[in-house]
Amino acid sequence: MNLTLSHLIALLPLLIVCATVIVVMLGIAWRRHHVATATLTTIGLNAALFSLLAVLTVTPIRVSPLLLIDNYAVLYMALILIAGLASTTLAHAYLEGFNDQKEEFYMLLGCSVLGGLTMVASDHLLSLFFGLELLSVPLYGMAAYAFRTRLSLESGIKYMVLSAAASAFLLFGMALLYAESGSLAFADLGARLTEGGGHASWLLMGIGMMVIAMAFKLSLVPFHLWTADVYEGAPAPVTAFLATVSKIAVFALLMRLFMSAPVTDMASLHTTVAFIAFLSMVVGNLMALRQDNIKRLMGYSSIGHMGYLLTVVVASDDMALLTTGIYLITYVATTLATFGVIALVSSPWQGSDVASLKFYRGLFWRRPYLAAVMTVMMLSLAGIPMTAGFIGKFYVLATGVEAQLWWLVAGVILGSAISLYYYLRVMVMLYLHPTEEEEYDASSDWGQRAGGIMVILLALAVLILGVYPQPMIMLVSGATLG
Amino acid sequence: MMLPWLLLIPFIGGLLCWQFELIRPNTAMPRWIALLSMVALLVMALVMWVSGDYSLSQVVGNTPEWQSEFRLPWIDAFGITFHLALDGLSLIMITLTGILGIMAVVCSWKEINRRVGFFHLNLMWVIGGVVGVFLAIDLFLFFFFWEMMLVPMYFLIALWGHESEGRSPVSAAIKFFIYTQASGLLMLVSILGLVFMHYTQTGVFSFDYGILRETPITGVMSWVLMLGFFIAFAVKLPVVPLHGWLPDAHAQAPTAGSVDLAGILLKTAAYGLLRFALPLFPETSQAFAPIAMTLGLVGIFYGGVLAFSQTDIKRLIACSSISHMGFVLIGIYSGTLLALQGVILQMVAHAFSAAGLFMISGQLYERLHTRDMRQMGGLFGRLGALPGFALVFVMASLGMPGTGNFIGEFLILFGAFDVVPWVVVIASGGLVLSAVYSLILMHRVYWGPPREKSTIARLDGREYAMLLSTLVLTIALGLYPQVVLDISQGAMHEVRHWFAVSPSFAG
Amino acid sequence: MNILFLTPLFPLLGAIVLAFNPRLPTRLAGLVGVGSVGLSALVMVWLNVAFYSGADEGVTQTLWQWVAVEDFRMGFSLYLDGLSLTMISIITGVGFLIHLFAAWYMREDLEGGPGFARFFAYMNLFVFSMLLLVLGDNLFLLYMGWEGVGLCSYLLIGYYFESEHNAWCAFKAFIVTRIGDVFLAIGMFLLFAQFGTLNIQELLRLAPEAWGKGDLMAEVAALMLLGGAVGKSAQLPLQTWLADAMAGPTPVSALIHAATMVTAGVYLIARTHVIFELAPMTLELVGLIGMVTLLIAGFAALAQTDIKRVLAYSTMSQIGYMFLALGVQAWDVAIFHLMTHAFFKALLFLTSGSVIIACHHEQNIFKMGGLRKTLKLPYACFLIGGAALSALPLISAGFYSKDEILWLAFDHGHTWLWLGALFGAFLTSVYTFRMIFIVFHGREQIHPHAGRGLAHHVPLIVLAVLSTFVGAMIHPPLENVLPAGPDGQYGHNVQLMLEVLAAIVAVVGVGIAAGLFLGRRRLVSSLTKTKEGDRLWRFFNSAFAFDWFYDKVVVRPFLFIARLHRRDWVNSLMNLWPGLAMMFNGILSDTQNGRLRWYAAVMTGGVIAVLVLLLLL
Repeated sequence: MNLTLSHLIALLPLLIVCATVIVVMLGIAWRRHHVATATLTTIGLNAALFSLLAVLTVTPIRVSPLLLIDNYAVLYMALILIAGLASTTLAHAYLEGFNDQKEEFYMLLGCSVLGGLTMVASDHLLSLFFGLELLSVPLYGMAAYAFRTRLSLESGIKYMVLSAAASAFLLFGMALLYAESGSLAFADLGARLTEGGGHASWLLMGIGMMVIAMAFKLSLVPFHLWTADVYEGAPAPVTAFLATVSKIAVFALLMRLFMSAPVTDMASLHTTVAFIAFLSMVVGNLMALRQDNIKRLMGYSSIGHMGYLLTVVVASDDMALLTTGIYLITYVATTLATFGVIALVSSPWQGSDVASLKFYRGLFWRRPYLAAVMTVMMLSLAGIPMTAGFIGKFYVLATGVEAQLWWLVAGVILGSAISLYYYLRVMVMLYLHPTEEEEYDASSDWGQRAGGIMVILLALAVLILGVYPQPMIMLVSGATLG
Repeated sequence: MMLPWLLLIPFIGGLLCWQFELIRPNTAMPRWIALLSMVALLVMALVMWVSGDYSLSQVVGNTPEWQSEFRLPWIDAFGITFHLALDGLSLIMITLTGILGIMAVVCSWKEINRRVGFFHLNLMWVIGGVVGVFLAIDLFLFFFFWEMMLVPMYFLIALWGHESEGRSPVSAAIKFFIYTQASGLLMLVSILGLVFMHYTQTGVFSFDYGILRETPITGVMSWVLMLGFFIAFAVKLPVVPLHGWLPDAHAQAPTAGSVDLAGILLKTAAYGLLRFALPLFPETSQAFAPIAMTLGLVGIFYGGVLAFSQTDIKRLIACSSISHMGFVLIGIYSGTLLALQGVILQMVAHAFSAAGLFMISGQLYERLHTRDMRQMGGLFGRLGALPGFALVFVMASLGMPGTGNFIGEFLILFGAFDVVPWVVVIASGGLVLSAVYSLILMHRVYWGPPREKSTIARLDGREYAMLLSTLVLTIALGLYPQVVLDISQGAMHEVRHWFAVSPSFAG
Repeated sequence: MNILFLTPLFPLLGAIVLAFNPRLPTRLAGLVGVGSVGLSALVMVWLNVAFYSGADEGVTQTLWQWVAVEDFRMGFSLYLDGLSLTMISIITGVGFLIHLFAAWYMREDLEGGPGFARFFAYMNLFVFSMLLLVLGDNLFLLYMGWEGVGLCSYLLIGYYFESEHNAWCAFKAFIVTRIGDVFLAIGMFLLFAQFGTLNIQELLRLAPEAWGKGDLMAEVAALMLLGGAVGKSAQLPLQTWLADAMAGPTPVSALIHAATMVTAGVYLIARTHVIFELAPMTLELVGLIGMVTLLIAGFAALAQTDIKRVLAYSTMSQIGYMFLALGVQAWDVAIFHLMTHAFFKALLFLTSGSVIIACHHEQNIFKMGGLRKTLKLPYACFLIGGAALSALPLISAGFYSKDEILWLAFDHGHTWLWLGALFGAFLTSVYTFRMIFIVFHGREQIHPHAGRGLAHHVPLIVLAVLSTFVGAMIHPPLENVLPAGPDGQYGHNVQLMLEVLAAIVAVVGVGIAAGLFLGRRRLVSSLTKTKEGDRLWRFFNSAFAFDWFYDKVVVRPFLFIARLHRRDWVNSLMNLWPGLAMMFNGILSDTQNGRLRWYAAVMTGGVIAVLVLLLLL
C-alpha cells in the first residue's frame, strides 16, 4: 500500500506529537530549561490539535491495516490533545515549585499522548496493544515522578505491577482470539464472533480477557483497587492526566471494539459487562462516602462514573456512540478542572499535595472564584442541571431507557444518590467558616496564570455546555465510525 | 415576551447581589437589589394578573390554552425546546412566589449578617428556579429547573442554617438534597420513558407537554412511568413515608429558607401533580387515586401526631405542613373541580400561614436564641403584638373560618365528598388533630406562667409590617377567595377535563 | 332592612380597633367595646320595629359573593326572620348589658393592669361571630360564626393566660367543641352532596321533597348536625368542657357560657328543624340527650363548691331542657326557654361576678356566707334569678318557659322524658337554693365590699326585671318560622294539673334545700363523712367522672402514641439506608489496605470470576 498525501495528512497529529517528543528530548539533552520545555510541548500539542482540522478533510481514511482515522477518531484525538494540553499547563504550574529535574516530565507526557492517539485510531489488535503500552508505560514514570515522596513512588510501582498484569491478560486474550479467528483486525473479529464458530467458548475467553484488561485501565470493579492509591500518590497533574487521557483512549477503543463486535450478540458477555457496570456504580460511590482525601475521592468517583458510562457499552447502539462522546467530553472537562483546582492549591507548597478536605474549608471566602469553579465541578460530577455533567448523565439515562436496561438505570440512580453525599460534602466544605488551622491557598495571582485561566475556561465551558449543549451534541453526532 | 423576564429577573438580581458584595463588602446593597428584583417580579405577575383573561373554562380540543407562550429551540436532537407558557395556575404560583420572595428578603434583613451577597444570590436563584418550574412546559426544561433549584436551597440550609437538637444544618441540607435529587432522577427516567414511547409510536422526539399529553400509554408501563412522576412529587410534597427530609430541613434552615421551603417549594410538588402527573397519565392516576388518597390520609394523621410531639417550634410547624399537604393530596386525586380549586386555595393559604408562623419563630429565635418550646411559655404578655399575630396564623393553620386555609380545606372536603365520602369523613378527623397541634403551639409558647417578668424587644416597624401584610393576605383570602379562584378556574377546569375524559383515550 | 349588616359590623369594627390598639386607655377602650355593642343593639331595636311594622317574613341581604365554584355558591349573605331576630335581640340586648357590666368588672379585676382592651376586643369579636352564626343564610357562613365563637370562647377562657390551669381549660374547651364541629362539617358535606346547596331555606324546602320520613340519609344528616349541637351546647357526651370554661372572667361566663354561645346548638337544631322532623329516631335521641344531661348536670350541681361551677352545671341542665323541648318538637318553646334562660342566667352570672369581686376573688361558696346583709342588690338579684332558674310559680320568667316544656313533653307523648324533666326541676330548685342559702345566709365568713356605679347596677337591675314574669311576656315572633309541632293528646285540665304539680315540685325543692342547708347542715355533713357518702359526693362533684373516663380512653392513649411517635419511626426506617451505606463503606474501605499482593490477589480473583461468569451464563 502506498502512502499518499492524504494518508500523511491523516497521520499529521501523530507525527506532530512524535516530533514534539523528539524535540523535547533533544532540547533537554542540550540544555535544561523548564519554561522552554513546557512551551515547546504546548506548541507541539497545539499544533497537533490544529492539524485535526486538516485531518477532517480526508476522513475517513484507512492508513495501513492498523489505523482507521475517521471522525470518531478525530473527536477523541481532539479530546486527548486538549486533556494533554491541560495537564501540561497544570504540570507547569505544579513543577515550578518542584526541586528536582522537571523537564523529562513533558517528554513522558508527550509519549503517553501519542499512545492515546494511536489507541483511538486503532482498528487492529496490534495497534491496540501498541497504543495501550505506549500510553501506560510513560504513566508509570509520571506517577512516580515525585519519587522522593513515598506515596508517589509507591503509586508508580503499584500501577506498574498491576498494569503489567493487565497487559498480560490483554495479550493472552488477543492470542486466543487470533487462534480462533486467524485475524487481528476488528472487523474480522466481529464477523467471526457473530458467526459464533465451533469454539465459541475460546472466543469468549479471549474477548473476556481483553475486557478484563480494559476494565483494569478504566478501574472498574473488581479491578479497581489500585485506583485510589495511584490517584492519591501521583502528583495532581498526573492524576488529572491519568483520569482523563487514559480513560478517554481506553473507552473510545472499547466502544469501537464493541461496535464492531457488539456484546449484545453474546448473552453471557452482555450480562457480565452489565454486572461489572452495576457493581462499579454502586461500589465506587460507596467507597467514596467517607473519604476525606479529595484525590482518593476523585478516584472512587471515577470508578462510579466509568460504571455509568459502561451502560453505553451494554447498549451498544447508535445512541450509545453519541452518549460516549458527550459523557466523555463532560467528564473530562469536569475532571480536569477539579484536578486543576487541586493543583493550583497544591502547587505553591512542597511535599505531597494538599488533598485533605479540611484544607479546602472556607476556600470560598478567600478565593471566591476558585471555590466557585470547584463548586461547579462538584455539581457537574453529581449531574445537577446547569452543568455539563447533567447533560452527560441525561444521555446515559436516555441510552439506558432506550435500550431498556432497567437494572443499570436503577444502578445509575442509586449511584447518583449515594454520590451526592460526598460531592456535597466537598462542596459545602468550601463555604464553611475557615478554622484556625494553617491555611493552604492558591497564590493570589492564580487567576492570571495559565493554569488559573484554564480552570476558569473549563468552568465556563462546563456551565455553557450544561445550559446549551446543542453544539456539543452536533459535534459528537458528526463523529461517526468508519 | 414577559415570560423570559420573569425568569431572568431573579437570576440576574442574584448575580448582582453577589458581585456587589465582592466589590464592596458589608453594604446593604444586596438586600435592596434582592428586594427590588422581587418587587419587580411581583409587579410583573400582577400586571399579567390584571391584564389577562383566565376565566375561560371551555376546554377546546387537545391543544392547551395558554395565556402567553415563549419558545426557543434548544436541543434539536431530542426535540427539546425552551418552552415557557403561562396559564392561571402558573400565574397564581408565580405571584405567590413573588410575594413570598419579598417576605423572605425582608425577614432576613437582620437575621443574616454574614455573606449577605452570597445569601441573596442563593435566595434569588431558588426563586428563579421555582419560577422556572412553574413556567416550563417542556418536560426537560421542567426537570432542569426542578433539580436546579435544589442547589441554592442546599446552600441556604447548609450555610446559614441553625443547629437543631445536636444535628448540623449541613446534614439536614444533604438529606434534603439526596431525597429530592434521587426521586428527581426517577422522574427523569419516567420522562425519558415517556419520550421514547412517544418516539416509537410516532417517530418524533419531543419533550413538549402538549404533545406528550396525547401519547396513549397503557399497561404496566403506564404504572411505572406514572409512579416515577408521583414519587418525585411525593417526596417534595411530602407524602409519608417520604417525608424524612422535611422536618430537618425546615427546622435547620434560616427563616427565609423555611418561608420559601414551606411557602413555595412544597407547592411545586402539588403543581407538578396537577400539571403533569394527572394530565399525562389520567387513567393510571385514576386507578391510583385510592392509594394516593390513602397516603393523604396517612399523612394528615401521621404529620399531625408528629407535629404534636415536637419540642422544636419550627419542627412543629414543619410537621404540620405534612398534615396539610395530606389534604392537598386528597383534593388532587379526587379530581372534582371543587376539590381542585380547593387545592389551589389551600396551597396559597398554607403558604401565607406557614410563612407567617416561620417568620414568627424566626423572630422568637432572634429574641430568645432558642427554638425549644420547653424553654418558652408565658410569652404572651412580654412580646407586644407578636403573640397576637401568632394567634392569627395558628388559627389559620387549624383552618379557622375567615382565613384562606378554611376555604381551601373545606372546598377540598366538599369537592371530594361526592367521590369518596369515607375518605372525607376520616380526613375530617384531621380537623381535630390540627386544632390539637396548633393550639399546643400556642399553649407551649405563649400561655402559662412567664419565666421572667421583663419584657422582650417588641416588633420593629419592618417586622410589624411584614406580619401585618401576611395577616391581611390570609384574612383577605378567607373573605374573598374568588380573587384566586377566578384565575385558576380555567386551568383547573382543564385538569379536571383531562383527568375525567381519560377513558376516551384508552382505545 | 338594609341596615341589617350594621348589626355585626359595629362589633367587628370595635374588635379591630381594640385589637390594634392594645394600649388604649381604659375609659376609651371601654367606650369602644361597650359602645360598639350598644350601637349594634340600637340597630337591633330598629330592626325589631321594622320587622313588626313590616311584612313578617324572611329577608336576605347579600353582601358579596363569597365562594363560587360551579354549584358551590356561597354568598356572604345575612338572613333575617323571626328566629334570627329573636336571637340577635338576645345577643345584642343581653350582650350589651353584659358588656356594660364587664366594664365595671374588668376595671375592678385588673386594677389598672394591662389587658382591658384585649378583653373587649375578644368580647366584641365574639358578638360579631355570634351574630354571624345566627344571621348566616347558609350553613357555610353559619359555620364561620360557629367556629368564630369557639375561637373567642377559647381566648376568653384563657384570658388569664399566665395560669397554666386556665390555658388547659381553654385548650380543652376548644378541642372538645371542635370534635362536635367536625360532625357539623360532615353534616354540611352530606347535605351539599345531596342537595347541591347549603342555603338553609332552600335546604329546608328541598329536604322533604327528597327524603321520606325516617330515611337513612335524613337520619345521618340530622345525627351529624346533632353532633355539632351537642359539642357547642355542652350536652352529653361532649359536655365536659363547660364546667372548666368557668376559668374565664365572670362576664364571659355570663355572655358566652350561659346566654349565647352554648345555646347555638339549640339554635342550629331549631333552624334545621325540617331535617330533624324527617329523622324521628335522631329527634328521639335529641330529647333523650337533653334529659340525661339535665339529670347529670343537676346531680353535679348539687356537689359543687365553686359558685361558678354550680351555675355552669345549671346552665348545662337548662340547655338540657331546651334539647328536650326540641326532642319533643316543641320548637318555639325551646327558643322561648332559650330567651328567658338568657335573662336569668346572665343575671345570675353577673351577680356572682359582683359577689366574687366583693369577696376579693373568692369563689368557694363555703368560704362565703351571710352576705345578704352587706350585698343587698346581689342578694335580691340572686333571689330573682334563682327563682327563675328553679321555675318558682307565677312570679318568675323561668316558670312560664320551663312549664311549657314539661307540659308539651307530656302532651306529645314522651312520658319518660317528662318524668325525668320533672325530677330535674326538683333537683334544680334544690341546688339553686342550696347555693343561695350557703352564700347569703348563715355565718358571715368574709368581709365583702359591695360593687357600686351605674355600670354595675343598671345591668343587674334590668336583667332582674326581665327575669321575672315581665320577661316571660315577651313573645318571640316564631310563628312563621317554626311549626307548632304535633297535636296534643290531652286537654286544658291536664295541663293545669301538671303545672300545679311542677310548681309544687319546685317549691318542695326549695323547702328541702332550706331544711338541708339553712342552719348548721348537720345532716349533709354527716352524710358526706361516711365512706359511701364521700364517694358519692366525689362522683357527683366530678359530674359522673366523664373527665376521668375520657382521660383514660382518649387523652392518655393519644399522648402515649405521640410519645412513641416523637422519634418518627417511618423516618427512622428510612435512616437505615444511610446506615447501610456507611456499613458497606466500612467493609469496602477495608479492602483498600494498600498492599500490592492483596490487590493482585483480588484482581486475579476478579479475573476468575469474570471468566467463570462468561462461561456459565
